[in-house]
Amino acid sequence: MSGLSRRDMLRSAGAGGALLASGAVASPLGGTRMLPPELPRDRFAAAVGELRAIVGEEWVFADEATTISYKKSFIPDLRGEHVPSGAVAPRSVDEVQAILKVANTYKLPLWPVSTGHNMGYGMATPASSGQMILDLKRMNRILEFDADLGTVLVEPGVTYQQLNDYIEENDLPFWLDVPTVGPIVSLVGNTLERGVGYTPYGDHFFMQCGMEVCLADGTLLKTGMGSVRNSNTWQAFKWGYGPYLDGIFTQSNFGVVTKLGMWLMPRPPVYKPFVVRSANLEDVAKVTDAIRPFRMNNLIPNGVLMMGALYQLAMFHRRHEIWEEDTPIPDEVLKAFAAKNGLGMWNTYFALYGTEEIIAATEPILRSAFAATGGEVLTEAEMAGNPWFEHHRTLMRGGMTLEEIGLVRWRGAGGAVAFAPVAPAKGAETFGQTALAKEIMEKWGFDYAPAYAVGGRELHHIIFLMFDKGSDEESARAEQCMEEMVTRFGEKGWCAYRSSVSTMDLVAQQYGAENRDVNARLKQALDPNHIIAPGKQGIA
Amino acid sequence: MTSRRILSCIPVLLAGAASLGGCGLAARAQDAPRPPETIYASTCGYCHGHNVGPIIRGRGLPPEAVVPIVRAGLGAMPAFKPTEITDAELAGLARWISESAADPKEHGQ
Repeated sequence: MSGLSRRDMLRSAGAGGALLASGAVASPLGGTRMLPPELPRDRFAAAVGELRAIVGEEWVFADEATTISYKKSFIPDLRGEHVPSGAVAPRSVDEVQAILKVANTYKLPLWPVSTGHNMGYGMATPASSGQMILDLKRMNRILEFDADLGTVLVEPGVTYQQLNDYIEENDLPFWLDVPTVGPIVSLVGNTLERGVGYTPYGDHFFMQCGMEVCLADGTLLKTGMGSVRNSNTWQAFKWGYGPYLDGIFTQSNFGVVTKLGMWLMPRPPVYKPFVVRSANLEDVAKVTDAIRPFRMNNLIPNGVLMMGALYQLAMFHRRHEIWEEDTPIPDEVLKAFAAKNGLGMWNTYFALYGTEEIIAATEPILRSAFAATGGEVLTEAEMAGNPWFEHHRTLMRGGMTLEEIGLVRWRGAGGAVAFAPVAPAKGAETFGQTALAKEIMEKWGFDYAPAYAVGGRELHHIIFLMFDKGSDEESARAEQCMEEMVTRFGEKGWCAYRSSVSTMDLVAQQYGAENRDVNARLKQALDPNHIIAPGKQGIA
Repeated sequence: MTSRRILSCIPVLLAGAASLGGCGLAARAQDAPRPPETIYASTCGYCHGHNVGPIIRGRGLPPEAVVPIVRAGLGAMPAFKPTEITDAELAGLARWISESAADPKEHGQ
């Protein structure tokens, strides 16, 4: 595996270091930053001054050098359509309210992020250039931890690592459920994006309970039971009374969520992870049909991942180790390399949780069903030490890992954008989606790296388009490939559950005019100046 | 006393930080700089020396090279903002990476 040489690192550092050290860009409005399109420079500078008065000099980033971290993303952006104008980082709800007031006064668009590591979807970058990042990372308090109910109330800046450490330090009998990049991302951010994980608590929004939202006019709304006088059920009962509001603040720009309640899974006495290794690409249909009944009746309680060979290999290998040509990797080559690493063309990970007796009763039923698909059913007895098995063993118990970042460096200098269409959890659907994705990606010269996350009755097909962001030609192809995938999958009713900032509007169109109209009306009512994240999920 | 009330008085810890005290509320990262070893273990070390990113310990990388890479990201490496790793923490981290010995347990690149 070739790494970056020391010389490469020093060269890169030289460029960045010069930027960071340069006095020429140390003043507001310096350099080539994007300003909000309808905000004159002097008004922008005045807004920045007011923001500094609220959060302090050091927590407003309005020059090119200090904004650099907020510009980083893995997605293609050839035309500079996702470049922030700066960032402001409050440490309290009071400061968020004061910032929103300034934003309303100046019509300054704000793009809220919790930690800004939305990996395959644009990181912290906004839907359109010129928006100022509202970075909530400094609001990082764990406000409540109820060890009877297994509930927490946290601020947006709390990472999974932080809560994990809290649980370990206090020996609390709970597990987290993490996305694949848990250590550096936020519970609030991932849950609001309706992300998923891989324990029985894998549907994060389903496990969310109560939120505090700061509306554009500064109103603080506590959803569910949160506004009841003397309430003690804010994190225990989701639905409250009357229309259920939490959903409209997820994948949304109707407010800024400043607190979020979550349920945690009680730590089970026994945990046993499995992998089903399937030899052929077409086995995806049989495996899907084998999983579905067990997800519906909960014999398999966790979020199951069917991982394609290439998605797995790309975590720890680079492309040239497998295939030196520019053409897509032939299936037989991929299959042989996967086999050398103890992997099949599909590798399906699930786990059992409970007591020895419960697991002993369930295991034979599952073994028999998966064996009937032609797959090998394996546990740590055969797979301990295999890096991919260990990775998923960590994920299915809510452990900390960043290994999937490895996918980003598959080609050249690295780059990746995710497309995640949903489908019913049926074999014919996965078979059809795999065939279509492979056809489109190979047409544009990319390798098909798939994972299917199987919920109860649906599945998310997570397609990681890996390209070299260092090449404009490859970035352009990646962009065209992604557009074709969104469009052609959409024609079959397979739409994305979430989207990169570069395709938010395209995907929103597929959900229909009525949906867009209702969202537009809600937006107009709650944020008439459109200062919160315009363009988020296609809502202006 | 309910468990909620009991727990609300347990000092809340930041990612790998020392106990910071305070009843019911967690202290904030910028109030107490974390030692470089803690930041390395809870962020950098998940990739570097762990099959994903290049090994960076024991190579004498100059601190002035480390700082801009952390802030801007490099290739597949995410950028880390001052709200995640403060300037003071980053200065200490860069120095520590530069001076630290190679860890034989690290592997991959």
